[in-house]
Amino acid sequence: MNKHNNIGLLLSCWLGLSAVASDCWAEEDIVWHGFLSQGLMQASKSNFVNDDGDISYRLTEAGINLSYQINPSLRLASQVVYLNGGNRYPEGLRLDYLFLDWSVYTSDNWELRLNLGRFKNYHWLYSSTRDIPHTRPSIVLPQSLYYDAFRDFAKGNDGLAALAQGDSRWGNWELNWSYGTTPIEKALTRTLLGEFATGELEQVFDHQASFYFQPKDSYSQFGIAMVSSDFRYKSGNADFFVDGDAGTRRWIASYKYSAEHWDLSMEAVQEQLTYDNILFPGYYLNTYSQGIYLQGRWFASDALTLLGRIDMADMNKDDRSGAWLEQYSEGRIPRYFGYSDSLTLGMTYLLSENFALQAEVHRVKGTGRLSPAVVPNTAINRSEYWNLWAVQLMYWF
Amino acid sequence: MKTSKYLKLMIGLLLLSLSAAVSASDAEVIVNADSQVLHLSPAQLRRIFTMRQRQWPNGTLIKVFVLPNQNPLHQHFCKSQLNMFPYQLERLWNKLVYSGLSERPVEVYDQQQMLQVIAQTPGAIGYIGKGMDIQDFGVLLITISEDDSNE
Repeated sequence: MNKHNNIGLLLSCWLGLSAVASDCWAEEDIVWHGFLSQGLMQASKSNFVNDDGDISYRLTEAGINLSYQINPSLRLASQVVYLNGGNRYPEGLRLDYLFLDWSVYTSDNWELRLNLGRFKNYHWLYSSTRDIPHTRPSIVLPQSLYYDAFRDFAKGNDGLAALAQGDSRWGNWELNWSYGTTPIEKALTRTLLGEFATGELEQVFDHQASFYFQPKDSYSQFGIAMVSSDFRYKSGNADFFVDGDAGTRRWIASYKYSAEHWDLSMEAVQEQLTYDNILFPGYYLNTYSQGIYLQGRWFASDALTLLGRIDMADMNKDDRSGAWLEQYSEGRIPRYFGYSDSLTLGMTYLLSENFALQAEVHRVKGTGRLSPAVVPNTAINRSEYWNLWAVQLMYWF
Repeated sequence: MKTSKYLKLMIGLLLLSLSAAVSASDAEVIVNADSQVLHLSPAQLRRIFTMRQRQWPNGTLIKVFVLPNQNPLHQHFCKSQLNMFPYQLERLWNKLVYSGLSERPVEVYDQQQMLQVIAQTPGAIGYIGKGMDIQDFGVLLITISEDDSNE
């Protein structure tokens, strides 16, 4: 079945489901929302957006969601999105989420819910709405944690999630847990591994948990999250790669402070990445990467928000200069593929209640967060320093 | 003549700012009379308006109503009763809506409409400025305090 048939099938199923639902449930129990955005972006001297470095209109994000309140403790929620982000991730229509939301237990001070189906990643500060333009602080999120090449399997899972949150005498807390997998399409395999990958990449499991705590009467929020996930690669015909396994173990710490006219966010990540075969028989790699971003926003007026952010990622914490990469590849991969540091300045202007314009510039040192992730594109990315700018008009309802 | 004009303008602006201050000075939480809730703790109120508590103790679904973001009473309510800023609530509601976890509150134009919808909607909760006449509406004023004497 080709890609267009898949899209057609997905849309038909989703619209059919909506029609059935609107017949079965009372109108007031069905709620619709959506968003539409279009932008322009350019990344000079890199393949972040496209291969030629020209101005690109491949910055489209649109989606529609609906939810049905079946009874006071049971909901059905679904969203379909169309995304085009250039080289950052595969373009196309996606079933973003479709899950049953069951409120298992509710008391005066805490609640437990279960989500069954395809649900979002609730574990990082911006992971659950990273594709929703008006909910995120910038068009391009900090790549140390929100690496776009990993977007499709970091956005959520097909499986089960448990969400508990409540209040105590010390403050309010939130505990999230999820277990599942994400189907990986051919296009994503190529985004991750490179254009010479003809085999199939499969996520064996994805296990995540997070805990957030906001002390009583405080504007600070502290969080910790972990990710454990394994992948299996089955090589195809005339494949550059071989059968093998990969695994990732991530620990993330976060902090957020919200004042009346400004806020501060920080997320720090350490990731253990292992490869067993895949590149060639007998290949084994076990590295620890690290990343951190610090972001400040100033709400200059009701309409205008200004943003400043530094973001740093090192692919190997034991050799932050990237020298190991150059040596290991016998000079084929320059050392600046071993890190990615960026400075971002941006603004968001609220044109009306449901209309906003966002614009930003990035100055980037290093190419460690470009795609493909495993075998980097050294032909195009020949410069250690590169710039990115983007502007996006967004509407939501 | 010119002085008098400026004086009138200044008095007008003063009265306007005072009226805004008065209307925003005290918010009272109201619920639909059928919910039979008379008391909430500040933490429960916050959980309800952040859409994290979705049912009343009797199992009825909670329906939350709010005034527009720019309304002074809404801003005062957020800061004084929820200990949050309006932008935090707005971002949280967006996050819930677009990740499928919950619905956002229903927005009403003004306090008069707030009273009407709260009266007509089972499980509804909202807020009005202190001193509004609620006698002819089927709504209850509820107290917000740490005291645990519920209902």
